[in-house]
Amino acid sequence: MALRNVLRTPASIRPLLLQPPRVLYHSYEHDIPPPYRDAESAILSSAIAHVPALGFTQETLTLGAKDAGYLDISTNLFPKGAFELVKYHLVTQRLALKDRIQFPGEQTGVGRKVRSLVLERLRANADADVVRRWQEALALMSLAENIPASLRELSALSDEIWFLAGDVSVDTSWYTKRASLSGIYAATEVYQTTDQSTDFRDTELFLDRRLEDLRVVGGAVGNTLQWVGFQGGALVNLMRSKGVRI
Amino acid sequence: MRLSATPGWVCNDCRRSFASSVRAQQQQQPASSQHVRQDEKTTHFGFDTVAENLKASRVAAVFSSVASNYDTMNDLMSLGIHRLWKDHFVRSLNPGIRPTASAQPQGQKILDIAGGTGDIAFRMLDHATNINRDTQTSVIVSDINPEMLGEGRKRFSTSPYQAAGRVSFMEANAEQLDQVESSSIDLYTVAFGIRNFTHKQKALEEAFRVLKPGGVFACLEFAPNLNNLLMNAVYKRWSFGAIPLIGQIVAADRDSYQYLVESIEKFPSQQEFAGMIRQAGFLLPGQGPEDEGVKAGWEDLTMGIAAIHKGVKPA
Repeated sequence: MALRNVLRTPASIRPLLLQPPRVLYHSYEHDIPPPYRDAESAILSSAIAHVPALGFTQETLTLGAKDAGYLDISTNLFPKGAFELVKYHLVTQRLALKDRIQFPGEQTGVGRKVRSLVLERLRANADADVVRRWQEALALMSLAENIPASLRELSALSDEIWFLAGDVSVDTSWYTKRASLSGIYAATEVYQTTDQSTDFRDTELFLDRRLEDLRVVGGAVGNTLQWVGFQGGALVNLMRSKGVRI
Repeated sequence: MRLSATPGWVCNDCRRSFASSVRAQQQQQPASSQHVRQDEKTTHFGFDTVAENLKASRVAAVFSSVASNYDTMNDLMSLGIHRLWKDHFVRSLNPGIRPTASAQPQGQKILDIAGGTGDIAFRMLDHATNINRDTQTSVIVSDINPEMLGEGRKRFSTSPYQAAGRVSFMEANAEQLDQVESSSIDLYTVAFGIRNFTHKQKALEEAFRVLKPGGVFACLEFAPNLNNLLMNAVYKRWSFGAIPLIGQIVAADRDSYQYLVESIEKFPSQQEFAGMIRQAGFLLPGQGPEDEGVKAGWEDLTMGIAAIHKGVKPA
């Protein structure tokens, strides 16, 4: 909104120029605009219903378009084809996460909340019945032209989970937490596609092992750095005591 | 465009007069074509300014003179790449309805505007028939110029599509498609034609009217500038230097090809044109809901020499 345009409008109607800002962060004041336009969300939501039967394919999109009252040719609205269906699933499940699970009390720690949120998101995959088609989706996400969008979605999901778990870090751990959770979530999701156990119990155990690894490795790295720091400080002090000017 | 060149000169080698097509049209309208009245609206014809009501006839003259060797000229100017562009255009649209066990095949109705020689129409029918196994889809080939349409009729006369009644020809002005009913077309295509229209926005609005809800508008057109500045300089050298020369050598018609490169230069940029498509009421693919500016809705081809614009009519 250029300043010139603002100054040209009469002061009385300037408030009308205010449009909902495009926020890049979680805002408490403004609602985020819907991620898809009406036509797109109509077609994609109808198409998702056919994914368990037909997979993430162009055919599914065409069937979804017909169900939503559009034409076969209307799938030209989706230049990336079946990948847009995958992205729709990722976006809608990420936005639905806050409605699927809430933490009423303050008892649970951040770590436990993260675990519950990850499991809930994986359960959402199962509820939408896309788990047996998810390997197709992973293949689509790994195509070169789709990798940037897929990584963006993964980092958005990781950020969403940490935010909902109540993370308030303001240092570099903000980045390391999200990066490590992205890795853990991606690995667990891939594991889920091969999981045959009831209620995905094996996936839960897999997740627990990964979180344990993170805790152990993170602790070990932290301790090692601390040890190296002490040794370095001790060396410097020793040399000063011998008269070296450092 | 150098129309004021000596009109009486005749080339002895090719026995054609220089700017003969334009001269014939000048004889029909001796006075008014030279002077534009103050109150008339004007538009561009290449780098010239002409009265709006004359542009259509000037364009008609250009295409009448190039109709017979249109394909050869396209091959020479784009070094054959125009075939790849047209193939990609048709494949990305994916015309044709796959037959399923339950549904009765209905076929799509495709309207190809400014598609006189039938390049795109042929490819659409081939794709629908061979790849989607759809034998019901039909194409209406429309052009304002009867000579170009004649070339199309010739090409289709020996094809099975003519016999099956899947292609029809219509001489019409894209700005006023009175013969076409509203909401009756699935796919409206225009390849390398829209830069010649006098009123592009009117043509876009007509496209919006004739398309069914959910129908697709697709346009393959040259873009005025490439994305890369260095390549753009090279491209402009080729455009303004080589193309009219090729036109002169191969077809003895430098003026038509000079008009062609000038009209490309005058065409709006991809972003502007996508804005015009959005203004006509279409949804641009790839555009987010909260975007105020136009950021998507087209695909650049060959570094931006040509671009495919698409729009979907909301249901």
